[in-house]
Amino acid sequence: VTESLRDWRLAVDIGGTFTDVVLLDGATGHVVVDKTLTTPSAPLDGVRTGVTQLLAKAGVRPSDITRPIVHATTLVTNALIEGKYGRAGLVTTSGFGDTLLIRNEHRYDMYDLQIEFPDPPIARENTFEIDERTSAEGVVLTEPSPAAIDALVAQLVAREVESVAVCFLNSYANPANERAVAEQLEKQLGVPVCVSAEISPQIREYPRMITTACNAVTMPVIGPYLDELQRWLAAEGFGGSVLMMLSNGGVVSAADAARVPIRLVESGPAAGALAGSWFAKRLGEDRLLCFDMGGTTAKSCLIEQHEPELTNTFEVARMYRFKKGSGFPVSVPSVDLVEIGAGGGSLARVDDLGLLKVGPESAGADPGPASYGRGGTKPAVTDADVLLGYLDPDFFLGGDMQLDRSAADAAVAAVAQRLGLATIDTAAGIHDVVNQNMAAASRMHGVEQGVDLRGVSVIAFGGAGPVHACAVADLLESSRVIFPVNASVLSAFGTLVSPVRIDLARSLVGLLGSITVDQRERVLGELRAEGRRVLAAAGVAESDVRFRYGIDARYAGQGNEITIWVGEGDEWPGDEATVRDDFEREYRRIYGLTIPDVDVEIVTWRVSAVAHMDTVEPAVPEGVAHASAEAKPHRSRPVVYHRGQPALDVPVYRRETLGIGARFDGPAIVEERETTAVIRPGWTVEVASDGSLIATRDIPQTTGADR
Amino acid sequence: MTRTFDPIELEVLWQSLIATVNEQAKALQRAAFSPIVREAGDLANALFDREGRMVAQAVTGTPGHINSLARAATAILEEYPIDSLEPGDILVTNDPYKTAGQLLDVTVFSPVWRNQHVIAFVGSTIHHTDVGGYGIGAGARDVFEEGLWIPICKLLVKGERNKDVWKFILSNVRQPDHMAGDLHAQIASGEVGSQRLNALCDAHGLDDIDALGAEIIRRSEDATRATIRALAAGTYESSATLDLADGSIIEIKCAITVDPVAGEIIVDYAGSSGASPYGINVVKNYTHAYTTFAVRSVLNPEIPNNFGSLAPIKVEAPEGSIVNAVSPAPCTARHVVGMFLPNALIKALAQIQPDQAMAEGSGAVWTMQVSGNHDDGRPFITAMFTYAGGVGARAAKPGLSATSYPTGVAAVPIEVVEASAPVRFLRKALRPDSGGRGAQVGGLGQTIEFTVDTPRPWQLNAVTSRLAIAPEGIFGGEAGAAGSFSVNGEPVTTQARVTLQPGDVVRLDLPGGGGYGEPVAVGAD
Repeated sequence: VTESLRDWRLAVDIGGTFTDVVLLDGATGHVVVDKTLTTPSAPLDGVRTGVTQLLAKAGVRPSDITRPIVHATTLVTNALIEGKYGRAGLVTTSGFGDTLLIRNEHRYDMYDLQIEFPDPPIARENTFEIDERTSAEGVVLTEPSPAAIDALVAQLVAREVESVAVCFLNSYANPANERAVAEQLEKQLGVPVCVSAEISPQIREYPRMITTACNAVTMPVIGPYLDELQRWLAAEGFGGSVLMMLSNGGVVSAADAARVPIRLVESGPAAGALAGSWFAKRLGEDRLLCFDMGGTTAKSCLIEQHEPELTNTFEVARMYRFKKGSGFPVSVPSVDLVEIGAGGGSLARVDDLGLLKVGPESAGADPGPASYGRGGTKPAVTDADVLLGYLDPDFFLGGDMQLDRSAADAAVAAVAQRLGLATIDTAAGIHDVVNQNMAAASRMHGVEQGVDLRGVSVIAFGGAGPVHACAVADLLESSRVIFPVNASVLSAFGTLVSPVRIDLARSLVGLLGSITVDQRERVLGELRAEGRRVLAAAGVAESDVRFRYGIDARYAGQGNEITIWVGEGDEWPGDEATVRDDFEREYRRIYGLTIPDVDVEIVTWRVSAVAHMDTVEPAVPEGVAHASAEAKPHRSRPVVYHRGQPALDVPVYRRETLGIGARFDGPAIVEERETTAVIRPGWTVEVASDGSLIATRDIPQTTGADR
Repeated sequence: MTRTFDPIELEVLWQSLIATVNEQAKALQRAAFSPIVREAGDLANALFDREGRMVAQAVTGTPGHINSLARAATAILEEYPIDSLEPGDILVTNDPYKTAGQLLDVTVFSPVWRNQHVIAFVGSTIHHTDVGGYGIGAGARDVFEEGLWIPICKLLVKGERNKDVWKFILSNVRQPDHMAGDLHAQIASGEVGSQRLNALCDAHGLDDIDALGAEIIRRSEDATRATIRALAAGTYESSATLDLADGSIIEIKCAITVDPVAGEIIVDYAGSSGASPYGINVVKNYTHAYTTFAVRSVLNPEIPNNFGSLAPIKVEAPEGSIVNAVSPAPCTARHVVGMFLPNALIKALAQIQPDQAMAEGSGAVWTMQVSGNHDDGRPFITAMFTYAGGVGARAAKPGLSATSYPTGVAAVPIEVVEASAPVRFLRKALRPDSGGRGAQVGGLGQTIEFTVDTPRPWQLNAVTSRLAIAPEGIFGGEAGAAGSFSVNGEPVTTQARVTLQPGDVVRLDLPGGGGYGEPVAVGAD
């Protein structure tokens, strides 16, 4: 291919430990990847290093990159977890300045008398009240006076705030007062101001206010970073603008993202889910579970009909023993996934009842698992994986890091003694228990979406994902596990194969059938206009913009809505009867029943604006393309698969030696530099045409009925 | 032959059972109509063995519901023995004396079938919006005035609606749609539990859960008894005093006897006040629920809650007293006294485990319900909404401000209340200086003011407490601030529903928690 026909696309994903960069040539499908350490105090340093190395490796000049650069990042999440964010002010309705301190009055652990809550991101002394009021029906009862706004300005100036959050009662029903105050503050203060009706336009004052506060404190973090990044890219001569990956898998311009940084909170995992969606479509899997297991946590995300489900609640920065409820319940559209404290570093212990527990406490990176040889003495999941023969102590990170098998043995033996079991059985037990925890969390994730996960196909990524995926799949009664190429940079890859998209929503509450066409079109017209603006800002031609329509609806009287996608086009595609049918079908899918004779109430209208995109087909990695179609193990080693059963002598393959079409049966181990795929007995592996390993097994028919 | 389980197998199966009930609870909360269920999580789900012994509970809800549900199963099975049930039969009741102590809490109980045998039961208790009668509040004169009493009966017979039972129920409530929807949600959650339990048995090759349940109960009981055996023998006494809006005073006396030989704790409420004419009387189940909850939270909160961990804690209360109510004593607002019990219990337990103790707190959450008519005559009624005061200070940490304790419910958001009725809140703020001083300061109470935007008179059903006698400090800590409940600045002096006028402003000042330990002198450094 001549240089002029190249179509280079660049993606960057800043993770907690590593910054991943991926270069994809849209013309040939050629993929080049690089991984470098994240530099938390100056994140741009890691990006510069990674991008520079990658371009050198690929022989590409910055000016060759003319497409937008897609960027996912954990910067916002990390800022909130570490409390390293800007100094923001909060303005709220008179009488309600303590809302962030009162929260929802809930104790997240019933029995634990010692629980604690995090300090709100905006301190009480930086919170100010103003006389204003809007009713629940959206009628403005009291307008904020110019004098009161002037007084606020003086107070906020005195507090030297770098940004401001404005959140008034009932602003979800009418944001006029919020907007009026924000406009004046922005003009007079010259710092970014965000309003709750834009950040999180929904009923319930505490989630809306905490979300707006988290947004305000991260604006001074993300804004300067993006400015600096864009300056550097321009100076280097890059042709493309920067697009940011949002928590819901949407992609918007850097300027739009800087106004709503809280929507970046699950940016990296959303990118991973998009990669999963892309694989689901390619592989023809209507239902696919993304299973991503790293050092401290595991995440599961269900992809249905080639798309992840979305949720509006996400908890960030859990502070008390990782417990659910001990963080900030931010309310922004996010990819719905479940994350639990189960990773390679999760520690095993014996509890008061004499039972084996694994996690959520983690050995972290320092000291790390006992086998890291850095002074850790408690047994971690990785230690068990070493003893069972899944990981080769001499080939961890391709041999760059030597693991200490005897340290792992000593750590597991201490727990084994307390249980009265053999060390190797205890190691198998640690493996079983952590797999069980991950399978249970995945199943719960399914229940929340009304899906029975039995039989679901699993795609494995993250450093520890391929080690545990077959076992978790066994527990989920699954018969197919996919180990993709470049699993370790899959999130960054996901951003490159996904279209530019923005999801917009606005509340307009009314019974189905009682909302007039005029009311509906006013809302949808605004949403379409906003969608066109955001996509244009991201460089999308107007003719490439497509609209998709949805509603959040419930039976009148219920509190929780379900989202239904009604159809696509330039106009609203549904009528009353089809919308009711769609609602009832979805309701039955989730809850197993419908409720006759109760009206359907629409709460929120959704428009998703998506850019039409040419499909890109990544080429098979060169190693795989040239490898033999006949699988040849390079050695064998003893591996324990079942507790209480002796080790089997198992063939070990090097991934880069497995060519397309190669087939082999489990039990087997497949090693590559960043991870190891553990294939259990009963499974068969075939290398697919894109280089993925596809593991399958025959499973007995289940007795339970499919819901 | 009884199957045995090693510690790893047991851990895997046990966690699977807990996951099963959590899945049920999630399904229930999502499908519920009652706002207090979906917004505040006022629900319980549990799994029982064939004898009705609780094996696992969901990690949600309130101690009042869960530990009452634990005891309800036995009563239900006495009425409908296991062998009398046919596939598809599902039972229902709100009998306050046999279940959770008030008519609004409805329990649905489903057998789990496997190979033509009942292997377990799954149950749920949720707070329904309305069961007719007086409604929320303490003003009814007896339980029959309080609402519809659903005796233990079949809600479904062989999978079909028991039509006459449904007709009776739905004809006696103000919002039949909501009642039916919530009963459906409970039935559906039982179905989820049944399917999941069968799948678990399939996956692990189990015909039933008899041996598994027995092992879980045995381990939990052994661990609980072992904890008690480590304590010093003796009887530890305390009392705590609760006052209500009408000036009535309720004395809770408790004597906690630790018997390290048997590994048992006996809690005796002898000497506590007699029954109240108001609906604040607590049935034995609910007393048992909050007693075991408080004792376990101090002794061994890590051990899962089930029949085994509850068994070594025995509760005695004089029949007919306020903590062992008998029919027809009214009981809708029994949480006022029930949620106060931990104040007395933890004070007694502080003599044994000072590090785990805390000072007295505000006690029960205050509950409100507002009803009336719009300008055009249309009626409105809010769901019950609750607010919490301050919790007592702990040995090494301050008390939590404006946080529910001991109940696990959350506050209903102001915007949700305002969207359901023309209530308008003027203020919801922490009460400065309301926490008792101490080495650790008590949690702050809060001040709430609201009015109702209607040109007609309106009704308020409020249940408040601790208005005269403040929450005590402990080990030298000072008392928190007492509460105050007023309309237009005038104290309200009744427990019953009050009729208010347009423009009237209700003000709630919720109590602050007591302090822990001697206050450190100011300016000492």
